[in-house]
Amino acid sequence: MKVTRRTFLRESSRAAAGLVVGFQLGIPGAASTLAKSTRRAAISADPESAAEFAPNAFIRIGTDNVVRLWATRSEMGEGVRTVLPMVLADELGADWEKIVIEQAAMEPRFKGIRLRTSGSGSAAGTWRPLRKAAATAREMLISAAADKWGVSAESCRAEQGSVVHAESGRRLTFGELADAASRVPVPASPKLKDKKDFRLIGTRVKRRDGQAIVSGAAVYGQDIHVPGMLYAVIARCPYLGGKLVSFDPAPAMKVEGVKYVVPVRSGFATGVAVVAVNNWAAIKGRAALLPVWDKGPNANFDSDSFTREMERALDQPGFALRRDGDAPAALAASKKKMEALYEYPFQAHAPLETMNCTAHVREGSCEIWVPTQAPEAAQQDAAKLLGIPEDAVKVNVTLLGGGFGRRLQTDYVPEAVEISKTVGAPVQVMWTRDDDMKYGFFHPAKLERLRAGLDEQGLPVAWHHQSSGPHLSLLGPTAEEKKNPNYFADDGMLWGSFDNPYNFAHHWADYTLVESPVPTGPWRAVMYPSTVFARESFLDEIAHAGKLDPIELRLRLLQPGDMLDLKATVINRARLIAVLKTVADKSGWAATQGSTTAHEENGRLWGRGVACNVYDGDCYVAMVAEVSVSKNLSDYKIERVVSVIDCGLALNPLGLEAQTESAIAWGMTAVLGGKINFKNAQAQEHSFADFKVPRMSDAPRVETHIIQGADAPGGFGETAVPTVAPAIANAIFAATGKRMRRLPITAEKMRLA
Amino acid sequence: MPESSLRVFSLNVNGDLRKVKAAADTPLLWILRDELQLTGTKYGCGVGVCGACTVHENGSAVRSCQITVSSAAGRAFTTIEGLGAKTDQLHLHLHSCQQAWIDEDVAQCGFCQPGMIMEAAALLSKHSRPTDADIDATMSQHVCRCGTYQRIRQAIHRAAEMQSAKPSTGTKTGGKS
Repeated sequence: MKVTRRTFLRESSRAAAGLVVGFQLGIPGAASTLAKSTRRAAISADPESAAEFAPNAFIRIGTDNVVRLWATRSEMGEGVRTVLPMVLADELGADWEKIVIEQAAMEPRFKGIRLRTSGSGSAAGTWRPLRKAAATAREMLISAAADKWGVSAESCRAEQGSVVHAESGRRLTFGELADAASRVPVPASPKLKDKKDFRLIGTRVKRRDGQAIVSGAAVYGQDIHVPGMLYAVIARCPYLGGKLVSFDPAPAMKVEGVKYVVPVRSGFATGVAVVAVNNWAAIKGRAALLPVWDKGPNANFDSDSFTREMERALDQPGFALRRDGDAPAALAASKKKMEALYEYPFQAHAPLETMNCTAHVREGSCEIWVPTQAPEAAQQDAAKLLGIPEDAVKVNVTLLGGGFGRRLQTDYVPEAVEISKTVGAPVQVMWTRDDDMKYGFFHPAKLERLRAGLDEQGLPVAWHHQSSGPHLSLLGPTAEEKKNPNYFADDGMLWGSFDNPYNFAHHWADYTLVESPVPTGPWRAVMYPSTVFARESFLDEIAHAGKLDPIELRLRLLQPGDMLDLKATVINRARLIAVLKTVADKSGWAATQGSTTAHEENGRLWGRGVACNVYDGDCYVAMVAEVSVSKNLSDYKIERVVSVIDCGLALNPLGLEAQTESAIAWGMTAVLGGKINFKNAQAQEHSFADFKVPRMSDAPRVETHIIQGADAPGGFGETAVPTVAPAIANAIFAATGKRMRRLPITAEKMRLA
Repeated sequence: MPESSLRVFSLNVNGDLRKVKAAADTPLLWILRDELQLTGTKYGCGVGVCGACTVHENGSAVRSCQITVSSAAGRAFTTIEGLGAKTDQLHLHLHSCQQAWIDEDVAQCGFCQPGMIMEAAALLSKHSRPTDADIDATMSQHVCRCGTYQRIRQAIHRAAEMQSAKPSTGTKTGGKS
């Protein structure tokens, strides 16, 4: 867009008035130009200049040479707002310094384009569409230049923001060509560049928004300010499945600054909103409220008795996920059998930015500003609630102070929309930390029972993995679907057990659904953490029982290194073998003969454990954790984690390493102390004081090694999570001989084991 | 309408004298965010266990969610927006911690990082070359759900090196009176 003086002034005045309808972060290189104001939000007004070149929804090139790129995924730390410009710069031939990134909003311009951020798909899911968009723009710019010069398009190339005619040395910038390029016919099938011509892809590029973040200028959902905005805090029904009966607004209305006390029925939990001129008045107003709740049908629900229910469910018939051979018969015939039960409790996401949403409902339309992974759902929810077309709802996506799957749910959106409609003003709904702990969409608790029949060498020939627990999604299978025993076969719901990569002659996996009133949803790495914890721990048990090296055992079970085709997913066992062999090398496993040389040092017991996994067929990880445990088992520390990752083409190795470090900390949450306890239908945790998450003193030395793979990137934001718990549990066993099968692993549990 | 219980409080933020009308028990955090629009200071827990709201008072790191505006009156605070030395209206020098955070590519979602940086800057003003144990002891008061701890540790060591190389630049952490 051409920034004329008129548009600049208009934007500046609107920005100064605080109307935030989008945000943009500075151009790298324009390093020290942060304005004094903290509201970094600027207006991303629709460009009006006819000279602008806008070949598609993703890209706009102005006569000022600025290339604007709209990110079609939410930035929640995965680095999408850095990696997309890398792809654009390479495929288009753009000047890195001239790329400005904007955030795509749910508005007509992006209709039909996916904005949802999930499944580790920020890079993998946008790679092809963005390259095609960039190649389209490149061919049109080249065509415009070739026409001007009267030369063939083949004799020109795009580089560093210009089109160059090599023979004559002539050169025109993208800005000079923008007007002409906008009149060139759009090519039907633009040719993508060869990998060898990439300059940035595969190199280590730092985050483009680093400066905004460290200056406090980056705009998250809670930083949005709309003129005339009120702040709302909601008293929600504290009982799962309960509801609001009545409330007296008077005590809250007495708090100075409280403007309205209104019921809220559209969120997941019904409640009463206290709407005030600032957050503190809303918080105090809520504290003064004494709503009357109907405890509902689950008033006695508690997670300890639910665990026993899940145990009983393991003996009931479930859904058949995998049926290779006849595992029960082979188990019965085996001379040596092993069996173990593993537990993964309910987990919260607890991103550091609590849930929030700002909504401004007007007559017949609505605008929303929200840190979400699911802007499509936000738009649908708001449109449905208001009874207006989806196109009348604009959803602006801010930066996310962590997503991790929690922000795939949009329960906070209708809350804000409903309150804004009721009070007739823009409203920001803020969840307190306590709200965020209690009203989550939790990672379901699960039990995993594993049974193996071993041959004379101690190798498993029969394998039966049974899981029980609530479904990942509240919607779950329908009553009709539940009648089909094969319903979950080849489905991602039982990731980790149905797509077990190992080769057993007889191999079964089952899942018994256990209903619970707890709202559930995907956690980071979806359903892998529980199943992989069990699977990789059990393999370690088998290895130790048979005096086999745990890495060697895995390598033998992955022979002959072939392709495992499970229809829903295809696993390349050779790639898993490669990451395992590399992690053995990089961790020094062979040199110390793995865990067999667990040792004592500085009065502590040291041990190593290994685990590996394949995330949805396209991302491979092997991990070795090293722990030290005090001799009296009063504490343990995760000292070092070595990972080897193969997720295809690593677009930005620096970002991939960051995601691996992050995934390790995430996986450690469930090991060190993360657990949500329900009593009387309420989550008992309030904050990070009782929901223990890893902190600096827990952080191990992390070493990440990347195997650069195929032509396309796989997702990697979640890849390294599932192997963390089993690698640590296996290391603790190596150090102490204590087999920890129920998470979290506390010192007390270690002493009792 | 009953008489207002709100009072006017004066406090120094980033070198500027600011007057706010607020309830006496309002945490400084909400004064900074809702009244002064200094949103770099984040709400993470409100109960002093996550560190996202960390600001400086006389160069020491304090939790703004644990200080009421009535007790903050007459005192001077520095937020992340005021950490770098101001050179003119539009340009900021980054504090060595901010620069080190960029150099080590620390941030992921970034939400906790202003608080982390304020804590680290205060640590360095007291320990010019902190050990890993010093860093662990201080920084463990903070939560980063993206798990950027390893890079934070590296960034603090880098900032310490930068400060010892150029002791006169970018080390201002206290508020001007």
